[in-house]
Amino acid sequence: MEAAVLYNVPHAIPWQVYIPLYFYFTGLSAGSFILSTLSTVFRIKLFKPMALPAAIISFLLLLLAPACLIFDLHQPTRFWHTLVPEYFNRTSALSYGSWLLTLYPIANLVYIYFIFVKNDQVTRILGMITVPLAIFVHAYTGFAFALVRARAWWHSALMPGYFLTSALLSGIALLVVVAMVMDRYRDDKLDPQLFRSLRLMMIGILLTDLFWNGSFWLTLLVSTADGYASIMLALHETLYVWGELVCGMLVPLAILILPWTKENRAWLCLASVLIIGGVFLMRYSVVFIGFDIPLS
Amino acid sequence: MSNSSEQKNVNQTRRDERSPEPVAKETPPKRWGMLVDQRRCIGCHSCTIACKSENNVPPGFWRSWIKGIQKGSFPDAGNLYLRRLCNQCDVPPCCQVCPVQATVRREEDGIVVMYYGKCIGCGMCVAACPYDARFFNPFRQTADKCDFCVARIDVGLRPACVEACVSGALVFGDLNDPSSEISQRLASIGTSVIKPELGTKPKVFYIEADHSLMGRIQYSDDFKEAVMEYHKHIPSPDASYWKKGR
Repeated sequence: MEAAVLYNVPHAIPWQVYIPLYFYFTGLSAGSFILSTLSTVFRIKLFKPMALPAAIISFLLLLLAPACLIFDLHQPTRFWHTLVPEYFNRTSALSYGSWLLTLYPIANLVYIYFIFVKNDQVTRILGMITVPLAIFVHAYTGFAFALVRARAWWHSALMPGYFLTSALLSGIALLVVVAMVMDRYRDDKLDPQLFRSLRLMMIGILLTDLFWNGSFWLTLLVSTADGYASIMLALHETLYVWGELVCGMLVPLAILILPWTKENRAWLCLASVLIIGGVFLMRYSVVFIGFDIPLS
Repeated sequence: MSNSSEQKNVNQTRRDERSPEPVAKETPPKRWGMLVDQRRCIGCHSCTIACKSENNVPPGFWRSWIKGIQKGSFPDAGNLYLRRLCNQCDVPPCCQVCPVQATVRREEDGIVVMYYGKCIGCGMCVAACPYDARFFNPFRQTADKCDFCVARIDVGLRPACVEACVSGALVFGDLNDPSSEISQRLASIGTSVIKPELGTKPKVFYIEADHSLMGRIQYSDDFKEAVMEYHKHIPSPDASYWKKGR
């Protein structure tokens, strides 16, 4: 039976581009922080020169991230309501998130101080405390989406994992670019082995992300009407297919794997930049394709 | 129905014999609900207008509205309507996600209310409502929604839309009171709710609502057409990709 809608009231999308930007910044921050702890907590000597720059980048991004969130609020002056214990909602991912977003930068700053004064013992203990915070601060954003049952594009158990791996991916890619800049302008050169391991890590996480994407597509294709419509809409969206999937994942993966390009620094830099952009597009498409399917 | 109320009276007298003064807490809390009889709805939009004037909803925004569809082709065609409003869920997804408890389900009568002074305007509830019943009020700059005219209910009046309905299609009452009109109608007629599969337990019930009106837009097997059909209903379909959410 053909049915045409005569009139209906769809409500406007409540969020602006600040929200995907926020996810992007926390992701970059959490990713860089975890890289920084590779030498301080997990004692991998190879990453030692990256520990301080990674931690500082992670802290700077953490200043931007909550600012984006507050900019997006319709009542920005009331942001402190999220930190009033009486208002805490134990079923809301955002309630936990706002506490994590307050504690994590503080822990991060203390951690940076102890790397700076080269107190390895205290740094290690602080890093051990802060790594779970870094993981949760990004996983909660995944849960904020996964716990919305109304929208098929978000309501997926894969969401927190996907958010975490792509956070790590963008963190590593950013650090590759930073390491290249450091290598160029500093006297003591970095170990080429460092770039090699970063490249291998990027390949592994890119493959994981592609696996998440494949599972996501297959389950949505045989999902409810809303799920089917969202994946069909996504596959027709140029920015999703050509931007996120091809330029953000497949091209960098090819660059990192192919024998002609994998050893070249310039190609590595290009792949990292593409990944950094692709992860932003991933955040963007997660947020806004979810809103594209009308609910009424 | 009368049988069960007799039974209740008997119980009441027995309780009264045991203790001289009846305890107030034994009267069950109210649980307001609404029944929309689509057989009687003529699509006149009186409820929409009454809602807007009662709650001072700004132009271009609606707390409740009528969704209308046309089915079939002449001579076998039908114009069908669905009254849309907040479903006052017993398990409300909006209250689940609110980070500051600015929207809560009132224990005393089951209505999902907004505390406008607490709301930080994060938009999570607008995103999480499966019925698209929430929006941002441009004057208050907070989330807003239908609350069954909570100010009227608290002084013993019925919601403005129910008062305004010309054909008696809207029945409002206490679902916990077996002798109320809504409970009697619900017990004797087949009704449905929107998106029951989400487990939100809505308290707005419909009689004879068409399946293609209930939440999703029906679409054909041709996915391209389906996607375009969906796209037509996005608030700003012509906006460029980067301006979404503006």
